Amino acid sequence: MQQITIERSEPMSGKDSALKPRLKRRSTFEYVAWVVCSLIGIGILISVSTNPNFKWDVVAKYITHETIVRGLMLTIFLTFASMALGTLLGLGLAIMRGSSIKPIAATAGAYITIFRGTPVLVQLIFWFNVSALYPNLTIGIPFTDIGTAVDMNALMAPITAALVGLTLNEAAYMAEIIRGGFSSVGKGQIEAADSLGMSGAMKMRKVIIPQAMPSIIPATGNQVIGMFKGTSLVSVLGVAELLQSAQLIYARTYETIPLLIVASLWYLVMTLLLSYPQSKLEQKYSRATSRLPRKAKKVVLTDPEGIAR
Amino acid sequence: MSTDGTIHARGIRKSFGPKTVLKDINLDIASGEICCIIGPSGSGKSTVLRCINGLETVDSGVLKVNGENFGYYETDTAYHALSPKKLAEQRTKVGMVFQQFNLFPNMTAQENIMAGPVLVKGADKKESAKRAHELLASVGLSGFGDYYPAQLSGGQQQRVAIARSLAMDPEIMLFDEPTSALDPEKVGEVLMVMQDLAKKGMTMVVVTHEMGFAREVADSLIFMDDGYVVERGDAREVLRNPKEPRTQAFLEKVI
Ligand SMILES: Nc1ncnc2c1ncn2[C@@H]1O[C@H](COP(=O)(O)OP(=O)(O)O)[C@@H](O)[C@H]1O
Ligand SMILES: [Mg+2]
Repeated sequence: MQQITIERSEPMSGKDSALKPRLKRRSTFEYVAWVVCSLIGIGILISVSTNPNFKWDVVAKYITHETIVRGLMLTIFLTFASMALGTLLGLGLAIMRGSSIKPIAATAGAYITIFRGTPVLVQLIFWFNVSALYPNLTIGIPFTDIGTAVDMNALMAPITAALVGLTLNEAAYMAEIIRGGFSSVGKGQIEAADSLGMSGAMKMRKVIIPQAMPSIIPATGNQVIGMFKGTSLVSVLGVAELLQSAQLIYARTYETIPLLIVASLWYLVMTLLLSYPQSKLEQKYSRATSRLPRKAKKVVLTDPEGIAR
Repeated sequence: MSTDGTIHARGIRKSFGPKTVLKDINLDIASGEICCIIGPSGSGKSTVLRCINGLETVDSGVLKVNGENFGYYETDTAYHALSPKKLAEQRTKVGMVFQQFNLFPNMTAQENIMAGPVLVKGADKKESAKRAHELLASVGLSGFGDYYPAQLSGGQQQRVAIARSLAMDPEIMLFDEPTSALDPEKVGEVLMVMQDLAKKGMTMVVVTHEMGFAREVADSLIFMDDGYVVERGDAREVLRNPKEPRTQAFLEKVI
């Protein structure tokens, strides 16, 4: 051990100079910000809790009301169903978009442009009314008599229209996310696969998709959260999801604000619940070692380097 | 079947847009020959290798690899591109080792080595695993099968990459500056593996800046500059006694 001598710059001070804590500098602005923000927060809290028009008792009464819970279930179903279908379709579109065959790439490009370039709300109403364009959908083999006609009006029931609209719209966004993931895979990886003689599908499955996952998964998590709130749009089609369920009740009772609060609280709770795994995913895939699958981390480097000949 | 390990090129031209990268490439590499390609950066060395295993297509000229027209079949009037399946089949007979290793990071060393035989050739998994063990041992990495590329040093990764190419039982092995991305102390271990391989009678084409390797291991040497093969001949002869002024100037700089 080496002897360390500590020089005291100020003989008066009681503490050892080397051990004194280093304090953060707080500006006047920081103190002002604390005071102002606290005052605003307290003000809002008092107003919200004392204003009788919020009718917190009504909120409490309806928060677990059967209609609301059923609406919540439908919202959850719509979220996951349209995300799952949209992701599948988006994967197909992303692969098409990267095709070397021009018409295929252009078709996917046009799809993505149209569905991302128009509002979801408009798309939803469009699918709900598509029977005006095609009153009868005939499924069958062209130029033969084989096939059946389906009444489009019956087919496009509100829930179907909602699912179709959300799925087709989500597919366009997922296609862009997946395509971004694909392009994060280095050119060298594709050349290595090519030089082994891998077919296009094999390359996609074994080389490109596994390596694109780290950038696709966190972005997809964000889409799920967005979709959860986005489903409220289908209330315009009369689908009794969470928002529409609340609307159905306040149309009867005129307790508009309390019921909107009920719906909002559920949206908030679900979003927070989804945010947790989402932030875990983001952490997991943003680390430098993220390219390693989990089991890789268990391997301990024991052997020294070099050629064991 | 003409899987014979030869490479034969006549008047190959290749352009990227307006830029002609290969202007008139002529090569004859015999079965089992170890050929080094040297030359300044940008002279087209990588492009030659990439043409030989079909990562790039040549614009014109004759290119026969393993005795077959590579990537095309010839009729009286033209060369017609082969189907992707046939091209892939031709490629499996030519192994390529890259400067940046290009191991698949999502697979272990062993899975990397098994990828070709199992996924492409449909080989038996058990047999391939056994073969992968042997190959790992042959590049001095027994026991490293479960490591992921990120857990290996550059030199180790490159040796796995060599084993991965060998697993396809290629007739020809191409190396594009296999030691250029390595720390100086790791260069030797990779060169040693390549030297071992050279003794086994496989055709090898090696783009390298390692003049020591060229002198000791190579049979023939090609000096490329500006898209041309400027000089070719016996490796030691060219290195000791270069005929072309451009070769002389280049060798003076690198040795
Ligand atoms: N895909 C490509 N597109 C455009 N230019 C390229 C491409 N590949 C190579 N080149 C150009 O071709 C020339 C030769 O490249 P390369 O064969 O890599 O040379 P070397 O390996 O001898 O350094 C360089 O000028 C390079 O910029
Ligand atoms: Mg190069």
